[in-house]
Amino acid sequence: MAVTEAAEGRALAVSSDPASPFAGGAVGEVLAVELKDLVFSFRGSPRVLDSFSMTVPAGRLVMVLGASGSGKTTLLKLIKGLLLPRSGEVRLFGSPVRRRGTRGRLSPDIAYIPQQLGLVRSRTTLENALMGALGRVPSWRGLLGLFPAATVRDARQALDTLGIGHKSAERVRSLSGGERQRVAIARALVQRPRILLADEFISQLDPATTMEIMQLVRGVANSGVTVVMTTHELDVVERFAEWVVVLRDGTKLLDCPASEVRTSELAAMMKP
Amino acid sequence: MKARLNVPLAVTLVLGAFLLVALNDVGLLDGARIQRGLDNAGIFFADMVPPDTSVLPEVSRALIETIQIAFAGTMVGFVVALPLALLASASLVPYWVTLPVKLLLAFVRTVPAILWAIVFVVMVGLGPAAGTLGVALYSVGYLGKIFYELFEGTDPEVMEAVRGVGCGRLQLARHAVLPEASNGIVSQLLFMFEYNVRASSIMGFVGAGGIGYYLLGYVQTLEYQSLLMAVLVTLAAVLVIDRASSFVRAALR
Ligand SMILES: Nc1ncnc2c1ncn2[C@@H]1O[C@H](COP(=O)(O)OP(=O)(O)O)[C@@H](O)[C@H]1O
Ligand SMILES: [Mg+2]
Repeated sequence: MAVTEAAEGRALAVSSDPASPFAGGAVGEVLAVELKDLVFSFRGSPRVLDSFSMTVPAGRLVMVLGASGSGKTTLLKLIKGLLLPRSGEVRLFGSPVRRRGTRGRLSPDIAYIPQQLGLVRSRTTLENALMGALGRVPSWRGLLGLFPAATVRDARQALDTLGIGHKSAERVRSLSGGERQRVAIARALVQRPRILLADEFISQLDPATTMEIMQLVRGVANSGVTVVMTTHELDVVERFAEWVVVLRDGTKLLDCPASEVRTSELAAMMKP
Repeated sequence: MKARLNVPLAVTLVLGAFLLVALNDVGLLDGARIQRGLDNAGIFFADMVPPDTSVLPEVSRALIETIQIAFAGTMVGFVVALPLALLASASLVPYWVTLPVKLLLAFVRTVPAILWAIVFVVMVGLGPAAGTLGVALYSVGYLGKIFYELFEGTDPEVMEAVRGVGCGRLQLARHAVLPEASNGIVSQLLFMFEYNVRASSIMGFVGAGGIGYYLLGYVQTLEYQSLLMAVLVTLAAVLVIDRASSFVRAALR
């Protein structure tokens, strides 16, 4: 679970998983996320996503861009399973996400960091990080708050790696924006996800902190975790994205390697 | 020119007429009666002073019982209300569970504590046990509603983030809903206790324990000086508890 600042060129996991029936990636690539013809609308509202398809190979760092209201948050929630599509399919590592109503248990394989981070403010940094393990530890332990020693060690190590270990016992309420961001990443890492989804992840940070946090996110991606994040910050896209997807009004405007598109073009596409 | 209906004036006239009829029917437009009432009030107040300190021991004991009824009733109500409120929270439990629980809480809350106390006097007999159960049941209804509204108001992003780790509903309640609501829970609990101290002080009217027994008794036996003592002691206790509780609640904010 360690965050490694490993080499830039990561080997994409070559696995023995059977090839997906509608695989879009290159031969030998495992597809972490496959979205096929997704249609979504909130009750009584026009479509938020319309025939949206996209594939993300395992280990890639994808940034989803788009004007406010273009459907980025909705897209992440569909991948996470917090929302269910009206039609179309979400596959993660080749298997379809089971539809068990919006209240059912969600897979711990996908970590989701919402825009405001969703931390429990009255709890400490360590307690929030430990929540990442709730899907994995026995229920009685979770209910009593008695996490196994190894899990606590995991959580502490994640906090240390993220440079927030010295604030383990502080309530999240009293932390700064950048510190909270680190706690949210720690919680996600303790979850040991294969996919990390992060919404408007760095929108409220100063430039220096943004760079530090993005280095950490890149480290996570380098350790083999597939990262899909939404953002507005074009300089962040320029420096850190491997792949760029641009949304407009719920349809895909662009889906290509970050190196193939100029920042000025992106800026033009993001205008509402 | 067409005359237009002046709505505010019409409403005022109708309400005014109703008020006059009501005041007349309850006997408050009877000048002689009001005069008699004022005379009696004068005599009554003159008879009350000085307060009779000799009843202080029995009144104090009854006051302590009153506070015990309020405290035990509040805590028993709390312990029952908390799980019911979780079961009534739409963000945790499906509709077909929350609806009946919400209806149950609404029903329990519609009946005042003193009426529940009468029911319990019939069931468990005269005394503070009936009062405590009455207070507890009303507290279940009130706290249950306040709590489920608090729980349903949990920041949706916190719910989504914690659900996202793959935990079940109990864990979600334990780690997201309850901690987010903890200040509100304590604050409402203190408020409920304040309220219940006042409610418990009249439980004795129906034989359900506490200082109300003496308040009513002193009125019936015309011992107005003892009555004043009991009222003063009750008032002091209520004021002290209200102050302490609002202090703590302010500190929580
Ligand atoms: N709960 C909701 N009910 C109805 N419409 C919603 C809801 N949430 C979002 N929307 C609408 O869906 C569209 C896409 O929203 P969203 O996915 O949040 O966009 P983005 O994250 O790109 O800003 C917007 O038009 C928004 O108004
Ligand atoms: Mg959004």
